[in-house]
Amino acid sequence: MTSHFDELSERLTRNLARFSSRRGFLSKLGAALLAAPVLPLLPVARAANGEQPKTDFERNAQAADDTKCNYWKYCGSDGVLCSCCGGGHHSCPAGAEPSPISWIGTCMNPEDGKSYVIAYRDCCGKPACSAGKSCWCDNSDRELPTYRSALNNDIIWCFGNSSAMYHCSTAALIGAVK
Amino acid sequence: MALGITACALAGLPAAARAEVQQLPAPRASYLLSCGGCHGLDGVSNSSLVPDLKDQVGYFLNLPEGRSYVVRLPNVAFSITTDEALTGLLNYVVFTLGGASVPAGTRPYTVREVAQLRRRPLTEVSLLQLRREMVRTLIDQYNATTQLRRYGEDDYANQSPP
Repeated sequence: MTSHFDELSERLTRNLARFSSRRGFLSKLGAALLAAPVLPLLPVARAANGEQPKTDFERNAQAADDTKCNYWKYCGSDGVLCSCCGGGHHSCPAGAEPSPISWIGTCMNPEDGKSYVIAYRDCCGKPACSAGKSCWCDNSDRELPTYRSALNNDIIWCFGNSSAMYHCSTAALIGAVK
Repeated sequence: MALGITACALAGLPAAARAEVQQLPAPRASYLLSCGGCHGLDGVSNSSLVPDLKDQVGYFLNLPEGRSYVVRLPNVAFSITTDEALTGLLNYVVFTLGGASVPAGTRPYTVREVAQLRRRPLTEVSLLQLRREMVRTLIDQYNATTQLRRYGEDDYANQSPP
């Protein structure tokens, strides 16, 4: 039985070697398999599959206190937290107006390890909020450099408002990535 | 301003409702992450600075050059995504956000079509002028909404001083 099986596999291997070239389909398939992990995937896909190693921010993120820079929804926040200024992480303080134009990214919730879509809106129309130093954050998960300005957090996103004065930053939860 | 604050508060969810967070299908998530920051969660933000998509983008598909314009716009053509994902995203934008503005019988974009069009991005033209000319035709001949003219209007001229 074993020898029959051995013979069969030997014959198959020899035929394969004889009739396939090194530049043929198999070598291309092999190269494609090798290259697959290197090819860029959407950040969402990588995060959703749990393949992405955790960022420094994600290793220290918490879900209890939204007046701290390491609150999980602030993974890409750069600015002073509205939750320290009489607003919330998803709402502006009284008298400030949310920016209709913002940037949107994803953050990982440490409680379930899943990715969520977050809109980073600035609150505008009032002078900068004078909160304590611990409320000024500079996180950068999934933010891109200024030359990809639509996903950059150094921009004051108040340019689409009636007053471009920056007051504070929010991080509104929009939904979960399926 | 009060309206703005309400809209902002509604967009976020209270912590207690976290268990009922909306699950986003792939084209919707892709739209939000690639386009939604500027165009708004449902295709409207600041209409004079960013073109409305909601109930408007479909009008462009009345014209062959409008159908290709939507794909050849630099931020669409150069988006960091595959031809397949971009096709799904564009069909979501046109047929879902575009709503009733899509002409009857319009066929969805195919991957092959998008792949070919995005390799010819509109980089050597005045985008504003090109859009203005198409919008004129769409309003005059295809009964499109005059709201299409909101984008590019000089808002500063109508602003009251702070």
